[in-house]
Amino acid sequence: MSIVINKETRAVIIGGAAGVNAAKKMAEFDFLVKRPLTIQAFVYPPEEGQQKEIFLGGELKNVKVYSTLDEALAHNPQINTALVYLGASRATKATQEALESEHINLVSVITEGVPEKDAKKLRILAEKNGKILNGPSSIGIMSAGECRLGVIGGEYKNLKLCNLYRPGSFGVLTKSGGLSNEAMWLCAQNGNGITSAVAIGGDAYPGTDFVTYLEMFEKDPDTKAVVIIGEVGGSLEEEAAEWLAAEKRRIRVIAAIGGTCQEVLPQGMKFGHAGAKEGKKGAGSARSKMNVLREAGALVPDTFGGLSKAIKQVYDELLADGSIAPEEPISDDLLPELPPKVQKVIKEGEVIVEPLVRTTISDDRGEEPRYRGYAASELCEKGYGMEDVIGLLWNKKLPTKEESEIIKRIIMISADHGPAVSGAYGAILGACAGIDMPQAVSAGMTMIGPRFGGAVTNAGKYFQKGVQDFPNDIPGFLAWMKKNVGPVPGIGHRVKSLKNPDKRVKYLVSYVKNETSLHTPCLDYALEVEKVTTAKKDNLILNVDGTMGAILMDLGFPVHSLNGFFVLARTIGMIGHWIDQNEQNSRLIRLYDYLINYAVEDEKEVPDKK
Amino acid sequence: MAKILEGSAMKFFNKWGIPVPNYVVVMDPNRLAQLGEANKWLRESKLVVKAHEAIGGRYKLGLVKLGLNLDEAVAAAREMIGKKIGSAEIRQVIIAEMLDHDAEFYMSMSGNKDGAELLVSSKGGVDIEDNWDTVKRIQIPVGEAPSIEDLTALAEEAGFEGEIAERVGKIASRLVLCFDNEDAQSIEINPLVIRKSDMRFAALDAVMNVDWDARFRHPDWDFKPVSEIGRPYTDAEQQMMELDSRIKGSVKFVEVPGGEVALLTAGGGASVFYADAVVARGGTIANYAEYSGAPPDWAVEALTEILCQLPNIKHIIVGGAIANFTDVKATFGGIINGLRESRENGFLKGVKIWVRRGGPNETEGLAAISKLKDEGFDIHVYDRNMPMTDIVDLAMNS
Repeated sequence: MSIVINKETRAVIIGGAAGVNAAKKMAEFDFLVKRPLTIQAFVYPPEEGQQKEIFLGGELKNVKVYSTLDEALAHNPQINTALVYLGASRATKATQEALESEHINLVSVITEGVPEKDAKKLRILAEKNGKILNGPSSIGIMSAGECRLGVIGGEYKNLKLCNLYRPGSFGVLTKSGGLSNEAMWLCAQNGNGITSAVAIGGDAYPGTDFVTYLEMFEKDPDTKAVVIIGEVGGSLEEEAAEWLAAEKRRIRVIAAIGGTCQEVLPQGMKFGHAGAKEGKKGAGSARSKMNVLREAGALVPDTFGGLSKAIKQVYDELLADGSIAPEEPISDDLLPELPPKVQKVIKEGEVIVEPLVRTTISDDRGEEPRYRGYAASELCEKGYGMEDVIGLLWNKKLPTKEESEIIKRIIMISADHGPAVSGAYGAILGACAGIDMPQAVSAGMTMIGPRFGGAVTNAGKYFQKGVQDFPNDIPGFLAWMKKNVGPVPGIGHRVKSLKNPDKRVKYLVSYVKNETSLHTPCLDYALEVEKVTTAKKDNLILNVDGTMGAILMDLGFPVHSLNGFFVLARTIGMIGHWIDQNEQNSRLIRLYDYLINYAVEDEKEVPDKK
Repeated sequence: MAKILEGSAMKFFNKWGIPVPNYVVVMDPNRLAQLGEANKWLRESKLVVKAHEAIGGRYKLGLVKLGLNLDEAVAAAREMIGKKIGSAEIRQVIIAEMLDHDAEFYMSMSGNKDGAELLVSSKGGVDIEDNWDTVKRIQIPVGEAPSIEDLTALAEEAGFEGEIAERVGKIASRLVLCFDNEDAQSIEINPLVIRKSDMRFAALDAVMNVDWDARFRHPDWDFKPVSEIGRPYTDAEQQMMELDSRIKGSVKFVEVPGGEVALLTAGGGASVFYADAVVARGGTIANYAEYSGAPPDWAVEALTEILCQLPNIKHIIVGGAIANFTDVKATFGGIINGLRESRENGFLKGVKIWVRRGGPNETEGLAAISKLKDEGFDIHVYDRNMPMTDIVDLAMNS
């Protein structure tokens, strides 16, 4: 048995992230005691319509967020309890609404800093409507084996350590949230655990006082004794003493009262909860509370440390007089364990998981990214450059200085070729249509293909094939190409020719051959091919794609990486065009009619649809 | 609870139509002289000058001067401003018109569980405590306002007659308005005086507490609450309050001069029990501290460093109950850093540290703080199986 909350409790949380977090902790308890989810809905207008993922053990539940309490209750008529997890400026209105709803019997408010006037009004409203208002500033309510409202009880391991999976014989009433947990632990350690524990909150004017809950405990046959943890200030403990003394009570009362230190503190010095303030002439002091409780028959140790012994004493007496039977705690093995997170299981080596992705080039799990094992910052410090990062990420090795210089030049001479070419024009069209940089640049990027810039890979690939399969047999190579591929990639230019050579090609070939010691079988082969093709037709020269492809093959780059040099280089240019157009605030581009041949049919009427 | 200074209370009274004497608050005596040129009452009335600070027993400390003319008031202000009382410095003085009057009354209002109680006596002034049996009272339920007739009847019951009773009833009704609308927790007017020649009333002195939690709905609250600890806050306390206002969760710190046991404790409820345990074992606390509601680790670190600088401490109690949601590993991370930093800065010589805590990630948190032993800290670490405040006993017996 229990008080206030039980297996039938179904709750709505009014509030945002903190409320969702509480719902998750509550679901852990639901799983431990094998009950359905306590939380059935959320009310939080900013997240209306969302569903929050709550795990009940290993089962994933989706709990809906509504914008109003009425709406949540209309869809979930089983809800009888509300938990308020809003800030102080909004909590009062939400609590008021909940107290006025006919479905809701109990409202627990975690909010700290609710103005006193509001708290008083809410308490009076609750009394008028016959509802229970717990809090404000309450961590929640726990009924062992039945229900958890709020994060009271802490982490899953603690729920087990405090025997909260099944009811004991002790009730707990505290102002403090932390001490409610401590008291539950003391009842498990020195007795058989709790029936229910209520943290009423540390404010000056709580919604429900100790006496109301004591009455409930008195009526709960399973509760044999109640542990009250009170403190200086207010009169709740005095009222509890009065209640205890008024007539013979079935339940025993054990109490600890905080705040005796104020007797020796400099005058006027106060601290602790908002409600922990001594009144005039010692009224509400910790000492006077202890005295009246003792006089009323409660067991009141001098210090908190004495609480363990007092609980043990009462437990032993209850056992001795047969009020309760000794009960072994349930073996830990019989209690369900929360399903572990997958990361944890893998870490402990208990399962094998087939990886979905394999990478061989980089790793950012450490303090900084590493490329093929080298820390990025160390590469910077030791004077490496962009070309070396390209070498590592595309070719899995650090290029030599000579090789780096070649890579750098390849990118430099291909970075841009003016606005007229497909890529740059695509990016410019995008920029003028007002789209953002990544979209505009990728519009240009989509142009790269067989007719524009995409020949580098194939040029490299076939020159390499020539070197391997047709050494010293250019005619044989050209015949094979004609039969199997078509025109040789990397050969031919629309405007350039032998008489009007491509300056970039001349420069690259001359640099590689004269200024470096690179072994260049592919480049040499390509130049031999050019000799034969230009003999047939003047413009069948080795173009820049072919030159790059051949050199990159000679540098040892993988065939698949070759187009990447053009893509990378032109990205620099296309970003430049996008920036340029934006800086100029360019207008939308529309093709002029005179640039279009409208080869269309004459105007005619649309026939009726058959 | 937030006590506010007399000047702020007077401003509220003005706002809600409770008669007050003319007054000004200044930080600079020369400004008072200038105000004198502009305001006839300053030149022509007898004046009272009071230190406008949260200092108890101002009269005995010579911080209230009565019956002055303007020149004397400027001199008194000059003398008071900048004066040091303990750790407090007087920065402001309030200068009010000292109203010649024929009688002193008492009127107060204070909140209780069901609303508030209004008290009236026709025998006000310094002897009110002796005349407590003359005080008549009326309970005002929250959200309700008594009628003028009810309040006039109360005044008559308290011995006021005729027009004076009516006027007292009216002032009481305004006090109720002020109390309710300004989220007050208590207002005490003593004395409320009358000059019968022109039937002028004035609240000559006021003590007022407002509910600081309600400040979100009072955009015109331009004051800060006065220290509630019987003295102005120290720099360290102010520093922690400033930090507290910026974080999720909370950190609190109050110094108690001369103590030997520093408290680095968690939770509003448990922290008080730790202070009690120290006192019960004959120890002296050097401070009260509290961190709760899962504050960020850096805030706990700052609290730790402030606390380690307390003079003469012999023990630090790193205590707490079994937390519901404050992560022990994370908050202890802050404490560990704070302790290390403090030792590097030359603090913690010969200081013993006693730890007891439970809660989320308690195993990891306790293991981490235990490792300080290897670094040479005199630290003793216990888990949930150690009764909560028993580490205080261990410390006191060591």
